[in-house]
Amino acid sequence: MPHWRQPLDRDQIQIPLGIVHIIDERCKGCGFCIEFCPQNLFIISERINAKGYHPPEVIPDLDCVNCGLCALLCPDFAIYIEDAGTRSPETISLNPKSEVK
Amino acid sequence: MSSSERLRILGYEPLTESDWETGLHPMDDLLRGERLPHIWCQGCGLGTALSTFVNALQWLEKNQEWDLDKVAVVSGIGCTGRIAGYVRLDSFHTTHGRAIPFATGLKLANPELKVIVLSGDGDLAGIGGNHLIHAARRNLGITVVCVNNFIYGMTGGQVGPTTPHEARSVTSQYGNYEYPFNLPYLAAASGASFVARWTTLHARRLGWTLRDALAYPGFSFVEVIAPCSTAYARWNPDGKGLDPESLRRRGLEIMKHYQEVGRIEHDIHPKDAHIKLNEKGEMAEIVEGEFVKESRPNLQEAIDQRDVWAEKAWQRAKKALDERPDLPAQTEHIPRTEVQLGGFGGQGIMSAGKIIGRAAALYDQLESCFTQSYGPEARGGAAGSQVIIASDSIHHPHLVRPGSMIMMSQGAYSKYIPNLAPGGMLLIDSELVTLPDDHRADITTYGIPATRIAEEAGNNRAANTAMLGFWTAIVGAVSQDAMRQAVIESVPPKTVELNAKVFDIGYERGLET
Ligand code: SF4
Ligand code: SF4
Ligand code: SF4
Repeated sequence: MPHWRQPLDRDQIQIPLGIVHIIDERCKGCGFCIEFCPQNLFIISERINAKGYHPPEVIPDLDCVNCGLCALLCPDFAIYIEDAGTRSPETISLNPKSEVK
Repeated sequence: MSSSERLRILGYEPLTESDWETGLHPMDDLLRGERLPHIWCQGCGLGTALSTFVNALQWLEKNQEWDLDKVAVVSGIGCTGRIAGYVRLDSFHTTHGRAIPFATGLKLANPELKVIVLSGDGDLAGIGGNHLIHAARRNLGITVVCVNNFIYGMTGGQVGPTTPHEARSVTSQYGNYEYPFNLPYLAAASGASFVARWTTLHARRLGWTLRDALAYPGFSFVEVIAPCSTAYARWNPDGKGLDPESLRRRGLEIMKHYQEVGRIEHDIHPKDAHIKLNEKGEMAEIVEGEFVKESRPNLQEAIDQRDVWAEKAWQRAKKALDERPDLPAQTEHIPRTEVQLGGFGGQGIMSAGKIIGRAAALYDQLESCFTQSYGPEARGGAAGSQVIIASDSIHHPHLVRPGSMIMMSQGAYSKYIPNLAPGGMLLIDSELVTLPDDHRADITTYGIPATRIAEEAGNNRAANTAMLGFWTAIVGAVSQDAMRQAVIESVPPKTVELNAKVFDIGYERGLET
């Protein structure tokens, strides 16, 4: 994202990173994670679980910012995020389609 | 013997820790993982409410050193009621509506416990509505999380106490004609000291509120608005109803709707915390936030304060008990002796009865039993009291055939005289009771002007004491010393001397007759 003026503390800012884990067998395909992830990281997968639902999967090459919202909203305890440290803003790949909600 | 060994002997194979620990998800520490996936429908908000709750507990454990062994979860019946079966904490699934009474018992018996009631709107506001308002009124130190999905979900979607006006359900197909409760307003008006509302969409803020609510010392009430994707959304447009496109995403449609209509307003008066529908029957506004945070002593603190007073009163009573003189016990065998006292209210008929009982029980060490009967008029009206004295146990507390009577008014005389046993003794205040011509001939009548005696001694209210002295001398069922001591400790401290004097006059008049 180009800035015409750099924020003064830009070099200090670090964005957290997470690794998404999905427990396929628990998912009921409600779509909460897909709808509300601020990074728009999820899509419905082709996989089908024992109850006949399509669990979500993560779009490759996009970074989860470890906000934890999906894990909180998922009604079926089917997602959790593993902490993967932080990175500087330049190296994070944001979803170009995501908008501020 | 350990509990697992005992179970094995009884033929059960107890679950080992590892059976429930799935290790699949970090929240599984607090969940009975072997029971997941849970029974709630696709898109139901209850799962989100539970995960937010578990998240708040884990935060409290980590950051405020909560001991989760001291947390108990209670729920009632309904979809939400299932939560008690999914948390890996001490939990109890009560009967319908009775989660709060159960929690009240838990909390009072073990004030150390953090007791959380997690139940639905039907259970808490419908079947158990009375318990909710009374627990709030007492400011009992528990947290009530009411998951409100506007409907009786488990039973198939009947209209409930929170179904919005004009919303549809299985039993309100043309729109609900009743008006719903505003639960935060109800809780706050009943006395809850912490009141908040969030939708499940605002899970993060709900989590923050839960951290505060769980740690709050008084009664905290959190309403969680949650989608019922099956029973409520089917009939109402927020979940796109029966629209085939949205059939499998009704819960999501409602969550998206919350995003549009949720309005956060902290600290407003809960009566303004509306949930409004528009003309299409969609939720048009849901006001959420933390509305009330008040500090006043909770029930346990209030009990402890009263305890201090109770302790002081007991110390005073104990001192008086310890200072009691030791009088010799009655050595004679006293058969069942029944006494009827009567007069008008204000003459001390009740206290005279109690004094006889006290003298007999405490100093003569007999058995005694006292009952009283007031006419509907109370003060100034007819009053009666009954005493039974015996050396043996008294099995029947009511008078069968009183052998003596103390009558201090004409009305009481007429009312009670037929009951006096033949050959019995009637004691009257001779100036207040005039004997009629047909006065019973089979009894002995004794009279003294008790009220006049008391008046001359300085206080006409001691007339009952004069009658007691008179009765003691004539009937003789209770010893003189015991009676005199009982009078002294029953009357107000300033009148002890006067009453003792009046008692002695009455006693002497009794000996003279
Ligand atoms: S933690 Fe946040 S950013 Fe990462 S997947 Fe979940 S919702 Fe998206
Ligand atoms: S929120 Fe959970 S249950 Fe819903 S689709 Fe995502 S993973 Fe599945
Ligand atoms: S009936 Fe409604 S409240 Fe009950 S589990 Fe289904 S969606 Fe949830």
